[in-house]
Amino acid sequence: MKEAVLAELARLAELGSRQVSGSAAQVRRSKEQVRCIRRAAGAVLILGTLALSTRAQIVSTTEKTLAAAKPDAVTFLFPEQVTVPAGKSSPVVLHFRIAPGLHINSHTPSDEYLIATDFSIPEGSGVRLDGAAYPAGTLFTLPADPKTRLSVYTGEFVIQARIVAVVGSHLVEGKLRYQACDRNQCLPPKTIDVPIEVIGK
Amino acid sequence: MRRNTLVLAAVLLILAVFAWAGWANWEYRQQAAEKLLAGAARGELVAAPGGGTPQYVSPLDGKAAPAFSLDDLNGKRVSLASYRGKAVLVNFWATWCGPCKVETPWLVELRDKYAGQGFEVLGVDTEADDLKADDKAGWAKDKAAIDKFVAQEKMDYPVLLDGDSISEAYGGLDDLPASFFIDRDGKVVAASVGLTSEGDIESNIRKALAE
Repeated sequence: MKEAVLAELARLAELGSRQVSGSAAQVRRSKEQVRCIRRAAGAVLILGTLALSTRAQIVSTTEKTLAAAKPDAVTFLFPEQVTVPAGKSSPVVLHFRIAPGLHINSHTPSDEYLIATDFSIPEGSGVRLDGAAYPAGTLFTLPADPKTRLSVYTGEFVIQARIVAVVGSHLVEGKLRYQACDRNQCLPPKTIDVPIEVIGK
Repeated sequence: MRRNTLVLAAVLLILAVFAWAGWANWEYRQQAAEKLLAGAARGELVAAPGGGTPQYVSPLDGKAAPAFSLDDLNGKRVSLASYRGKAVLVNFWATWCGPCKVETPWLVELRDKYAGQGFEVLGVDTEADDLKADDKAGWAKDKAAIDKFVAQEKMDYPVLLDGDSISEAYGGLDDLPASFFIDRDGKVVAASVGLTSEGDIESNIRKALAE
C-alpha cells in the first residue's frame, strides 16, 4: 500500500514537473507569438503607411499634371478686394496676364468675326458695372498672312472698370470673355471668373 | 491570453484597414489608367527630333475615321459614309479662327485641283460657343456669321454645322484649325492641328489619294 502511495506520488510529481516545464514552454511560445504579432503589426503598419503615402503622391502628381496640362490662357492677377464709396461710380483697375506665346483679341478686334475681349459683372451681385476702358490693342500679323493686321493684347494688360456698389461686402464674380491664339492655332473662346470682394461704404 | 486576443484583434483591424486602403488604391489606379487611356485618345503636339516644329500626333492615325452625320448650310444631312470611295479632308474650323481663315483659300484651291481625282473637302464649323439645342437665336446668329464667312471666302465645298458634337470623337480638338486626311477606304492617313502650309496640305491630300 505504502509502495503504491509512493508510486502514485512519484507519478504526480513527474506530472507536475512536466506541467511546470509545459507551462514554461507555453509561456515562451506565447511570448514568441506576441513578438511575432507585434513584428507583423509593425510591418503591416509600415507597409500600409508607405502604400498610403505612395497613393497620396500619385494623386498629388496626377492632379498637378492635369492642372498643368490645360492652364488658362489668361489669368486674373489683382485686386482681390476693393473698398469704394457706396452708390458712387468708382474706378477699379483690373490686372490680367496672358500666357507666354499667346495673344488675345483686343476689345476692338480688326475683323468682324473675331471675338472681342470683354469684361462684365453679372446682375444681382450688389455691384454694377458702370463702364470699362480697355487698352488699345497692339498690331500683330500672322507669319503666313503678313497683310492682315490683328489688334491684340499680349503679356499683361489692365482694364479700367467703373463700378457702383451698394452698402456692404459683396463677393463679385466678374467675367472676362476672350479668345486666344498663338501664331498657328487658336483656342476656343473662353470666359474666366474675375473674383473681387467689393466693400461699399 | 486576453492581451493576445486584443493584439490579434488590433492586428486584424489594421489588416482590414489596409486591405481597404489597398482596394481603394487599386480602384484609384484603375481610374487613373482609364484617364490615361482617355487622355491617350486625344491628339497632342509632340516635339520633333532636333527641336523642329512640334508635330501633331492623332490617336486616329491609321484608324477608321469616326463616322458622323451633320447638317450642311442648307439643312441637308451629310454623312462621312456617303464619301466612301473618295479621299476626304475633314477640316475643323471656326469663323473666329485667324489661321483657319489663312488656310481656307488653300483648301478651295486644292479641292478644285484634286476634285477630278475623287477628292472632297468637308469644312466642319466648330464655333465652340456651347449653344444649347433649343437656343434658336444663338444658332441663327452663328449660322448667319458662317453663311457670310463662307460667301466671303468662296468656300465651294460642303460646310457642315455643329462640329462641336463630333470633336471628341476626333481626339478632342482644343485647337483650330484641325485637319484629318481620310483615304478612299475611310482610314485616317494623316492629321494636323494648327496652320501648316499649302504644300503640307497638298502632300497629305496626295497621301489620301494614294498617289
